[in-house]
Amino acid sequence: MTSMPSNVATRPRKSIDGWRWVGRLFLALMLFYTAVPMIWMLITSIKSGFAAMQFPPQWWPNEPTLASYYKLLDPTSSVGNDFLRFFWNSLFVSVSTTILAVIVAVPAAYAFSRFDFPGRKFLFFTVLLRNMFPAVIFLVPLFILMRLLGLVNTHGSLVLTYLTFGLPLAIWLLKGFYDNIPHQLEQAARIDGASRFQAFILIVMPLSAPGIIATAIYSFIGAWNEYIFAYTFLNKNDQLTLPIGIQRFFSENTTDFPGLMAASFMMSVPVVVLFLLLQRYFVRALTEGAVKH
Amino acid sequence: MTSFGFNRAIRRGVSTAAAAAMLMSSTAFAAPPVDLSKWSPEYVRSIAGTKDFDTAADCGKVTPLDYKGRLTFWYQGVFEGDPDLLRQYYKDFFAAFRKTYPNIDLQEQALTYNDLLDKFRTALLGNAGPMVVRLQILGGVEFAAKGYLQELKPEDVGYSTEDFWPGAMKSNMWKGKTYGVPTNNETMALIWNADVFKRAGLDPDKAPATWDDVVKYSKQIHDKLGIAGYGLVARKNAGNTPYRFLPQLWAYGGGVFDEASPNPNYSKIQLNSPASKKALQASYDMYVRDKSVPVSALTNQQADNQPLFLAGQLGMMISHPSDYDVMQDLKKKATGSDLQKAETVIENMRYGLIPTGPDGKRAVVFGGSNMHILKPEYVDGGKVDQAAAKALICFWTSPEWSLKMAYAGSNPGNLNGFKTKWMKERLDKIKFLDVTTSMLPYGIPFPTIPETPEIMNIVVPDMLQNALTGSMTVDQAAEDATKKIQNIMSGGKL
Repeated sequence: MTSMPSNVATRPRKSIDGWRWVGRLFLALMLFYTAVPMIWMLITSIKSGFAAMQFPPQWWPNEPTLASYYKLLDPTSSVGNDFLRFFWNSLFVSVSTTILAVIVAVPAAYAFSRFDFPGRKFLFFTVLLRNMFPAVIFLVPLFILMRLLGLVNTHGSLVLTYLTFGLPLAIWLLKGFYDNIPHQLEQAARIDGASRFQAFILIVMPLSAPGIIATAIYSFIGAWNEYIFAYTFLNKNDQLTLPIGIQRFFSENTTDFPGLMAASFMMSVPVVVLFLLLQRYFVRALTEGAVKH
Repeated sequence: MTSFGFNRAIRRGVSTAAAAAMLMSSTAFAAPPVDLSKWSPEYVRSIAGTKDFDTAADCGKVTPLDYKGRLTFWYQGVFEGDPDLLRQYYKDFFAAFRKTYPNIDLQEQALTYNDLLDKFRTALLGNAGPMVVRLQILGGVEFAAKGYLQELKPEDVGYSTEDFWPGAMKSNMWKGKTYGVPTNNETMALIWNADVFKRAGLDPDKAPATWDDVVKYSKQIHDKLGIAGYGLVARKNAGNTPYRFLPQLWAYGGGVFDEASPNPNYSKIQLNSPASKKALQASYDMYVRDKSVPVSALTNQQADNQPLFLAGQLGMMISHPSDYDVMQDLKKKATGSDLQKAETVIENMRYGLIPTGPDGKRAVVFGGSNMHILKPEYVDGGKVDQAAAKALICFWTSPEWSLKMAYAGSNPGNLNGFKTKWMKERLDKIKFLDVTTSMLPYGIPFPTIPETPEIMNIVVPDMLQNALTGSMTVDQAAEDATKKIQNIMSGGKL
């Protein structure tokens, strides 16, 4: 067994300066700020309707219950049936948007990164044009457009809209990523006999996986949480997505808080799971795409 | 338990009721199925359960029961937070309609209270509206005036105009023509927590008689117990705000126009009158001077007051009889110590008439909803199935279903609904129903002009917010609101 070098064992512990403690305190406060609403959401979701309205609040429910979750997950009840359908609709729209966003953004970003063609710069900045305006000003024009296209009350209207909103950032993100992949790698592949397409698929794509995953997460979360366009374009109960569906817990004179919180918690699960599984790619893509090597 | 002396109040208010019945109509009405001049809890009880109706047979005369068609329909629905009983009746209604008209393909869409108008407006811009819509009472005239709605009167769906409250019919009128049929009509009441009143040194079984008393009681509750006295709401773009402020405005003798007078013509704005300013001053006194209402009142709607009330953090509020039913539902689902607490809250709930103004004037918003048929050019697909539309409207506005669909929180739009056996059952089941039915004769409809939604949902809450936040004095806020209404009435925008 190798003994530890004596200089390591006796190295004096580096003192932690005041700024580091300030940083830690700040992070702790931020953690508290972001985590407490989530914890409160979870606690409220296991209360009865009456307990949720108590003041001072029950910090931990006297009579915890999973009734709201049972109700939401029971396909035989009207609430559960609706919730599960809304969940499926959201999943369908978000996955479709994500797949299409990746299919379009990957070659587009590659083209902007590698090819020199007339109007390249102009086009590149044009894709950002839409993002310079608040989304809500496109609401009525897009609604009328969707109606002309016969897409009102279809999930296609949402997928198309989310793509127009999500693609610019996705293309920018991926282009930054491709810029950092040395051209020499592709050139080497070409010398070895690969076509440009093969070099792209076999060399560039695997290297840009973190960027593609980040793009996918970004598209998925954007589509999963979107409210105002879904609210405007969809009028049929069986088409509604989750953000619209959970609004049903608010009535004219009352709110079902435990139901609302349980639905919100369940709505956040796919996003949290996705993010936890893929966060290292997401962070890598954001940092690698942000600087030029 | 409480003794409200409704009979005394109603007897005292006989002349008021008679006048109010007149108020609700600018035209004389011929032989309605109930005697509005005799309206009292006893009268309502005496007519309940005296007549049977066959909805399918009645509607079959309007649209044959084997009619084959397709219908799209939007309505303010009931959702997860609403009483179970009400949700069950909505479910039953659609099942019954589909059973009665098996060949009509009904595609219904429920929308929430605060979203229906905005969503409907957007859909109309894209000519993507439904064939039939059920709107809040203040919405219909706006769309009739803009030319979106077809003419529609009760006679078109097998009933008579006199079968409905005159005030409700008035809310469907634009330039002498009728554009809808009422489904339900309601008036609210004052709800208070007897335990809070007792602990604050007030009579637990006596509602504040006047709005000045409300201000006084609210302060006393706040000063003694440190909780909010009155559940003021002043949220913008939420129907709850005008429903709670206008009774106060009218009681002090004010108004937006002359809507509280027997024959209103809406030509003169009265929001800056001394009486109107007094009403606004009362809200200012509670919010700013006494700090006796929830500090969140500026963004609160009724759904935010309810938890405060149920948690014993609010002394009194204006609301529907449905609050009692909601409470019963919550109790049903509570267990252990929560159940005991819920029972205590229910025991302490008291309902009373809305307070009067300084001169004894009592008023409340005559609320409800109406059903309308759209013109084909604004409908998705460009066609309206008239027969299917009339079948649905006949079904919903029938004595049977207009009562059942309003079972927990409102009253039947069709006056014959008061004669059904279900009304009798309802009187036995729903505590405090006497209070809200007693308020019906005091109901005043919103001004029947197309600008009403904008005035009620934007200008009135803005006025309250300007005064309560101190960005304007009470005088300035009232004058500012008056100017805004002048601007809207002359075709301008806010």
